[in-house]
Amino acid sequence: MNNANIVMDNLPLFIPLILLEVGLDLAALIHIFRHKNYRYGNRILWVLLTLFINPIGAILYFVIGRETY
Amino acid sequence: MAILELHDVSKHFGDKSVLNGLDFSVPEGSIFGFVGENGVGKTTTMKMILGLETIYSGSILIDEKQVHYGDSIANKVVGYLPDVPEYYGYMTPIEYLTLCGRITGMDSGLLKTRINEMLKTVDLPIDKHRIHGFSRGMKQRLGIAQALLNEPKLLICDEPTSALDPIGRSEFLNLLASLRGKTTIVFSTHILTDVERIADRVGILHDGVLKANDSLANLKQQFAKPQIVLTFASKDDATQAGIVLGNNIQIADKKVILNYTGKFETVAEVILSSLLKEHLIPTSMNGQDTTLEDIFMEVTTS
Amino acid sequence: MISTWYFIRKEVMEAWRNYHILMITIVFVIFGISSPLFAKLTPEILKMASGSGMTIKMPDPTSVDSWQQYFKNIIQIGIYVLTVIFSSTISNEISRGTLVNLVAKGLPRYAIVLSKYIVAYAQWCLAVLIAFLISWGYTLYYFPDSKSPNVWTGVWPLLVFGLMFVAVTVFGSTLGKSNYLGFLASVIVFIILTLLNLFKDIKKYNPIALVTDNMSLVKGTENISHIMPAIWITIVLALVTVYLSVLVLKQKKL
Repeated sequence: MNNANIVMDNLPLFIPLILLEVGLDLAALIHIFRHKNYRYGNRILWVLLTLFINPIGAILYFVIGRETY
Repeated sequence: MAILELHDVSKHFGDKSVLNGLDFSVPEGSIFGFVGENGVGKTTTMKMILGLETIYSGSILIDEKQVHYGDSIANKVVGYLPDVPEYYGYMTPIEYLTLCGRITGMDSGLLKTRINEMLKTVDLPIDKHRIHGFSRGMKQRLGIAQALLNEPKLLICDEPTSALDPIGRSEFLNLLASLRGKTTIVFSTHILTDVERIADRVGILHDGVLKANDSLANLKQQFAKPQIVLTFASKDDATQAGIVLGNNIQIADKKVILNYTGKFETVAEVILSSLLKEHLIPTSMNGQDTTLEDIFMEVTTS
Repeated sequence: MISTWYFIRKEVMEAWRNYHILMITIVFVIFGISSPLFAKLTPEILKMASGSGMTIKMPDPTSVDSWQQYFKNIIQIGIYVLTVIFSSTISNEISRGTLVNLVAKGLPRYAIVLSKYIVAYAQWCLAVLIAFLISWGYTLYYFPDSKSPNVWTGVWPLLVFGLMFVAVTVFGSTLGKSNYLGFLASVIVFIILTLLNLFKDIKKYNPIALVTDNMSLVKGTENISHIMPAIWITIVLALVTVYLSVLVLKQKKL
C-alpha cells in the first residue's frame, strides 16, 4: 500500500483534520500580520512557529502570543 | 452631617508607617480636596475608605456605617474613580456599565436608562465600539460614568486629573463642580489649582496626619500672608526703594516684595508716599492674595 | 451569590471574545479526529519504517488502539493546553488592576474565584467531551468491534480529575502576578501525584488513578469501584483547593 492509498482510505479523517489545521494556521497568520504588538515574542517568531509546529504554534499564538485586552 | 468620618486611623507597610492617627470628617454635600505630596498616603487612605486596604487601627465610617476590609455594604453608597481606571477591553461601555450596575444591585430597568443617561453626560458614543480602542481621556470619562452610575452619596476620585490634557482637565473639573450639592466628592490631587477651582474644603495630608482641614476661605485667613509686589524700571531703583522701605522686604532683581498686615489701601498709601518723596516711581504695583500653594508650603515645611 | 452569576457571565464573554472557547474547540476536535486516525496509521507507518523487503505480521488495529490514542492525547497534551489557557485567569486581572473597580462596587472576592473556577471547569468538560464524541463516532465507524465495552466509564473520571486540576491552576493563579504560576502549580501537583504512585499502599487513593487506569476501565478489566476512593479524594481536594484560593485572594492587594 502506498501513501496515496493511505490518504484515500481515510478521507473522512483527513479532510476535516487538514481543513482545521490549515484554517487555524491561516487565521493565526492573518492575525499576526494585522497586529504590530504581541504579548510575548515578535512577528518572525510567531510566523515560524505557526508554519512549522502544527497545530501547537497557532494555538500558542492565540493563547499567549496575541496581545490581550 | 458628616458622610465620611475617619477616627484615629493608622496604617503601616512593614516598618514604614504611612498614617499616624488620621482624623477628619467630610460634611455631606461638600467637595473635599485631599492634598499632599506624592507617596504621602492619599491613595492608601482612599483604598481604606473603600474597604480595599486593611485598616491597622482606628475606624472609618461612611454614612454612619463602619467600613470593614473586604466588605461590600458600605461600598454600595460609594462611587470610586481610580487614578488610572482599567477595564475589560473586549467589552463595550454599555456591557461594562451593565456589569457594574448589576454588581451594585441596581434594578435592570433603571440600569438601562441610567447607562444611557451617564454615557450622554460624559459624552461617550452609545454604540458597539469596544473599550480597547479608547483614548486615555475616554477611559477617564467612562470611569466617571461607572463611578456615578448608581448615584452614590459619596464619590471618591484618586488623582482624577493627573492623566488628562488641559482641556480634558477643565471639562472634568466642570463635571465635578456640576455635582455640587448632589453628591459629596472627595478627590485627591497634587495640582493645587484644581482644588482652588472647585473644592469647598481642603485637607492637607503630611507626615501621616491631616495638617489642615478647613474651608479654603478659612485657611486663607488663618495662613494669611499678603504681599505687595513693586516692579521698578531698573535694579538700582529697586535697591534704593528697598532701603527706603525698611526691613520687612525681599528684593529680587527689579522687584521688591513686601509682607504686610492690615488693609491693602492703608499700607499702599504709606508705601507710595514714602517712595514719591524719594522720586522712585514703580512701573507696577500688585497686591497679592494668599494662594493655596503658599498655605501648602507653610503647612508642610513647618 | 447573585454576583457570582453576573461574574460567570462576564467570564463566559471573556472566554468567547478572547477566542479561548474557539481555540479549545479546534484543538480538541483535532485530538478527537487524530485518535482513530493514529490508531489506523500506526501499523502502516511501522511497515514502511521496517523496509520494503520484510513483511512483519502486524495485528489489525482495534477500538482499543483508538481509545488508547484518545487518552494519550488528552492526558499528555490536552490537559496542559487547558492549564496554559487558564493559567493567567486571576493573575492577569491582578497585574492589570481590572478587579479594583468591581470589588470597590461590592463584588465579593469569593465570587471572583468561584466564577473563574466554574467557567474554566466548564471549558475543561467541553474539551474532554468534544474530543470524546468525535473519537467515539469515528471509532464506531472504523473499528466496529466489541473490545471496548465500557468507554464512558473510562472517560468520566477525566471530568472528575478536572475538578481538582482546574482548582490547582486557579489556586496557582491567585498566588502572584505572574501568568505562569497557574500552569506551574498544576505541573508540580501532577509530578507529585505521579511520584506518590511509587508507594503501593496509597495507589488506591491517589487522584492520578483517574488518568492512568482509563484503558483498564474501558476494556472492562478493571471495575470502577477500584478507583472510587481516589475519586472521592479528588473531589475533596478540589473543594479544599478552591477554598484556599478564596482565602489567598482575600489577602491579596488588588
